[in-house]
Amino acid sequence: MRTITRRELLTRRAVLKGSAAAGLVVGVPGMLSAQAKAPINIGTLCPLTGAGGSYGPDMQRAVVAVVERINKAGGIHGRPVQLFHEDDQTSAEAGVRAARKLIDVNKVVAIVSTWASAVTLAVRPLCVEAQVFLIGVSGADAVTQGEHKGYVARTQPNTKLQGSMYAKFVVSKKEWKRVAYLALQTPYARSFGDAFSGILRAAGVTITDDLIYEDKKPSYRSEVTRILATNPDLIMLEGYTPDSVVMAKDIYKAGYKGAILAPSFAVNAKFIEGASVEVSEGIWNMDRAPLFDSPAYKDFSAAVPRNDASPYAPQAWDQMSIVALALAAGKGEASGTVIKDNLRAVANPPGTVVYTFAEGAKLLGEGKKINYEGASGACDFDAIGDILSAPFAVQQVRKGKSELVTIINP
Amino acid sequence: MPPIAQYVFNGIVTGGILALPTVAFSLLWRLLRFPNFAVSTYLTVGAYAALALNAGARAPLEAAWLGALLATGGVALAVDRIAFRPMRDRRPFSLAIASIGVAFVLENVVRFVWGNDFRAYDVPVTRAASVAGLRIGHEQLLILGVTVALMALAQAFLLHTRLGVAMRATADNPLLSAVKGVPTNHVIAVATFGGGALAGGAGVFLGLDASIDPLMGGGIIISVFAAAILGGIGSAPGAFAGALIVGIVEETGTLIVPPTYKTAIGFVIILAVLLVRPSGLAGSRS
Repeated sequence: MRTITRRELLTRRAVLKGSAAAGLVVGVPGMLSAQAKAPINIGTLCPLTGAGGSYGPDMQRAVVAVVERINKAGGIHGRPVQLFHEDDQTSAEAGVRAARKLIDVNKVVAIVSTWASAVTLAVRPLCVEAQVFLIGVSGADAVTQGEHKGYVARTQPNTKLQGSMYAKFVVSKKEWKRVAYLALQTPYARSFGDAFSGILRAAGVTITDDLIYEDKKPSYRSEVTRILATNPDLIMLEGYTPDSVVMAKDIYKAGYKGAILAPSFAVNAKFIEGASVEVSEGIWNMDRAPLFDSPAYKDFSAAVPRNDASPYAPQAWDQMSIVALALAAGKGEASGTVIKDNLRAVANPPGTVVYTFAEGAKLLGEGKKINYEGASGACDFDAIGDILSAPFAVQQVRKGKSELVTIINP
Repeated sequence: MPPIAQYVFNGIVTGGILALPTVAFSLLWRLLRFPNFAVSTYLTVGAYAALALNAGARAPLEAAWLGALLATGGVALAVDRIAFRPMRDRRPFSLAIASIGVAFVLENVVRFVWGNDFRAYDVPVTRAASVAGLRIGHEQLLILGVTVALMALAQAFLLHTRLGVAMRATADNPLLSAVKGVPTNHVIAVATFGGGALAGGAGVFLGLDASIDPLMGGGIIISVFAAAILGGIGSAPGAFAGALIVGIVEETGTLIVPPTYKTAIGFVIILAVLLVRPSGLAGSRS
């Protein structure tokens, strides 16, 4: 590895000074102070390809849009934010390689917007060890459990909150008395299923079967045969898009006429295209909803136009905003430790409610307390880095398109 | 508890899909004396070739399937010329490793051209009919029918045509048959093309039955390998029987072990055969 000599450093400083002077001549006072200081490096680790490939690009665009605003507002303590983008390919192995590069080569202080639980879990130890702050949208409980010294947080509800919100909806539909749980083998399949089934059983609903299946099998006919033999009214299908397509087609071919409920991240536009309009018809799907009436959501939608209303890009928007505010709440040093120490101070009550970095940074500069409320929700964190509440949207596929049916509030 | 007959039928269909690549894998192994792991990727190539014709050029799936046979056969031939032919006299181990390399390259070419997303053919999904308590899908019957017909054709070719006899002679003793005037390179080219075409056709079935993605072929290589070992290397009927048994055991196995261990069943079969009858069902040589 190459080390930077003192002389090179001096030259670099001189160049930076020069560019600052140039800024003065051109006359961009806001940019001046930001460019005069070394940038703060932050990494994105979104799934641009693989099972999460439908969401990663929008998440990355959301982060980029927030950073443009931060830099336009003069940066954090006068320092601009420099982003480094990596693709985790929705694979733990690729994610770890990318995270290593972000931490060791780019010297990032935070990694934002990981998606799959398997990826977040895999890069977590690297981040904790290097004292880099990690914030993502992964749902598995293990993401925030165990020792992470506060360096890990997420804006996606944990599986307990998710499972209970799904169960709340199922209980509200009186005609579903027999429910089968069918899940892809993922880090969250078991904990989600336990939370979901537990609440349903307590409400008097029968869980007819509980089956975890393997990814990348040419067919799921035998799994479907077993599930259908238990005569469910509702199949809770908890997978990702590629396997859910095969599963839903096999369920349809087997002649099942009952209802299916799935996460919206699996039953998305790609699912409908892959499984066909007939197979998708009537499938219920739900997911954590963005906070549609929030000023931050309106701000986000204007900055990041997109084709769906999935909850991840708004979360990415909030993650970048919160990370920046937490750094702004510090004394000027930029590190993962500063972020984790100030996370709750800027995101949780008490404090003046703010919806953007600029508002928040201004109040922080005046020595006031702030409470960031985002595009994805209230963004209040508990002691281990989980969010405390989130609205959920229930949709149903009708004629090849998911339509919003209702919003379930915690 | 659902009737076991349904599981057995499901297994027969899975076996039907496995049968074509297994025959290709098994015959090529016997002829060229190395396990060609690239055969699994020929499934992917076939599936995507048909996709290009079906979804891209709007050809009906039957025509796309025929196109996929030719295209995959061509790809297999090209791979043989570029990668395997220059290495013909190397040890089987080197060739096996080279074939894994070929599989990676082909897979990534597919990813480069079509992307990582899964795709589907432009065909309507139909509900299965219920026959005597068994759920039998239209596509499943089609897949089984075509597979059996292709297997019969392959077997007839091997037994009753000059080229087929030459192929078996070369497989048994390449040196002797070359001395006797069998055009070895011609025989290998025909076998390679045929093997590629069989695997490519199975790839279309797999894409029709499940979905099309760049890793689809790689996902079944363990099952194909197990079926080939079970059937006995070099025997077409053995490979067919091996594929059916592996398919049935994988599907009925889910009655006893959790479905998450489906892949492990293939490994168990490989181990058991190697321990008990290393030459396989139809094999005579140990």
